[in-house]
Amino acid sequence: MDTWITLARGPLFRLSLAVCLLGLAYHLGNTLAHIVRAHRRAADKRIPRGEVVTATLRWLLPVRLLRANPLGSAASLLFHVGILLVPLFYVGHVRLWQSALPLPWPVLAPGPSDVLSLLTAAGLLLLLAGRLLVAASRQLTALADALLLTVLLVLVLSGYWAAHPAASPLAPRAMVLVHMLLGDLALVLTPLSKIVHCVLTPLTQLVGELGWHFPAATGRHVAIALGKENEPV
Amino acid sequence: MAIQCSYHLEPVDTVNLPHRFLEAMAAILTHSNYAMVLDAAARMKARCGRCSVTCPVYQVTGESRDVPCHRSELLLKIYRRYFTIRGALRARLGDPFVLTEEYINRLAEDYYRCTACRRCKLECPIGVDHGLITHLGRWILAEVGIVPKALRVATREQLEGKTRNTSAIPYVALKDTCEFLEEDCADVHGLKIEFPIDREGAEYVFFPAVSDYLLEPDTLMGNAAVMMATGGSWTIGSKFFDGINYGLFYSDRMLDRIVSAEIAEVRRLRGQKILIGECGHASRSAKYFAPTFGGNSGAPPVVNFMEYTLKMLQEGKLNLRRGCIEERVTYHDPCNIARSGWIVDQPREILRHICRDFVEMTPHGRENYCCGGGGGTVSIDEIRAFRTVIGGKTKAEQIRRTGARILVSPCANCKKQLAEVCQDHGLENVTVCGLHDLVLKALDPPQWMKVAKTADEAEERTASET
Repeated sequence: MDTWITLARGPLFRLSLAVCLLGLAYHLGNTLAHIVRAHRRAADKRIPRGEVVTATLRWLLPVRLLRANPLGSAASLLFHVGILLVPLFYVGHVRLWQSALPLPWPVLAPGPSDVLSLLTAAGLLLLLAGRLLVAASRQLTALADALLLTVLLVLVLSGYWAAHPAASPLAPRAMVLVHMLLGDLALVLTPLSKIVHCVLTPLTQLVGELGWHFPAATGRHVAIALGKENEPV
Repeated sequence: MAIQCSYHLEPVDTVNLPHRFLEAMAAILTHSNYAMVLDAAARMKARCGRCSVTCPVYQVTGESRDVPCHRSELLLKIYRRYFTIRGALRARLGDPFVLTEEYINRLAEDYYRCTACRRCKLECPIGVDHGLITHLGRWILAEVGIVPKALRVATREQLEGKTRNTSAIPYVALKDTCEFLEEDCADVHGLKIEFPIDREGAEYVFFPAVSDYLLEPDTLMGNAAVMMATGGSWTIGSKFFDGINYGLFYSDRMLDRIVSAEIAEVRRLRGQKILIGECGHASRSAKYFAPTFGGNSGAPPVVNFMEYTLKMLQEGKLNLRRGCIEERVTYHDPCNIARSGWIVDQPREILRHICRDFVEMTPHGRENYCCGGGGGTVSIDEIRAFRTVIGGKTKAEQIRRTGARILVSPCANCKKQLAEVCQDHGLENVTVCGLHDLVLKALDPPQWMKVAKTADEAEERTASET
């Protein structure tokens, strides 16, 4: 068991982290390259920067969504706050980060981490319930969507139980191993799944705005490419 | 298999249709910025369905095909499969998805169930613009010949027909109509107005929705009265006088050609600005795309008539009687001018000035609900039941809750749709009109604009003067 734990927190963790960071960098770089190219090609280059920034901030602090869909939005907010803070700043995790990246790191004490973990799990449960019970979401949910939420839910709960062995349904070392392996899996899945939105969401408002800024000759070029220059309407 | 939709189509060539669809998609993605949009959405795999709470169509039908991100997913699936390395690999590993005629048929149906109101963008947690993806999907469909017949026939007449407008009004008939409106305004409202045609060097060249000449005389008389009262320098162009731009709803190629035709008419008349009448999509297509298609020498600025009227009111050049409209009035925001926040407050300032009892719908402004006829669907008569009973249901409920007797909607398309919505939802006591219809009633004209209303009044005036 200890050998497995050493493997999960050592080489496997570093490999997963590398896949995660390189993958996210690839997605971010690719999208930024698209943005730069689109702006260069756009005939009208005036981007309403203020509006784009305001809209982006509104999405990053999605308070207004609470009105339209209170339960779903509250669940999403709980989940996102916890899933960002606990993995990054929980005292146990910080040791791990510092083993891979020896940098000074702020630390979240165990008490607040526990509360956040439980709230995150509650948020995840609500999101999963929404996926399965709300008609519009259920109809669109693929197996991968439900599995991803389930992996994250087990990851969060196993983390809580790993920190509180007395409440753990498994042997403490086994729970630590489950948590570490799922953590590594989550890191690998980050650039390969919809979690990639963690780096792309700040750019989506700009992408949407730029999408409406067409190159001047798009229509003519498309007509030529399709052999329709002289075709009537 | 033939393409069959709930709307009428001109005959569609189905030979190699999936191949031609992919060719068109490839050409468009190569020469436009849409690849960036699809790529970002495909990477994030948006598919949570949260947008469903805002879509007035889904709220009524409850069908998954009406969830905005589901509709986007139809196109994203094609993009992932045929335009990404991952899709190619998955296909080799056994992904069974293949583009078929049946799938294209589904796209053709679902992409015209959307009113392109872009309300869903307000709620998408990751900010995907489903309206933009629908816009792209419709263009690709158009390149393989799938366009509602009503939109295509009208655009053909506007770009290649003898009359060069979507209502096929010959220039002679336009001129007669303008003269008739001048006479009618004198007879009914006692006001002298003028519709100048081909006046070179005018500041504004006027492009209303051309259907206003047939259907909305009071709106046009209101426009002309404001110009007359304020001494505005404007003209209608005889070569191109239609602001309607169905290209916005189905093809960027057509959008380009129509906007370019407007700009060419302004340049021919040596005008300075494009003045759009009361029409949401005509305003948006000119305002947002004239700078794109205007060429290197710069496009003329675009002004919506409501902006002009408010400016004149604020500068004291236009006198409107305060609170003279006594019935309860509410205002419908056309999505194409309100969603971006461009025209939200301007009409309200005018209405608050002239109406005694102005009430708002909830929600309104940027968050308004579509009338149900957006995205060109209002012109498709064969889907009226879908438009009014489903698409217009939320709007009908909004109108009913206000208790208003007058519904102002400064858009030719919205007005047609809302009149039908009111008919089909038992709101016959609501009158749908344009903003300038009320401006005309509220106008406190300068003395020189006043004329005798009828022959009797004219005789009386002559007698009193002598």
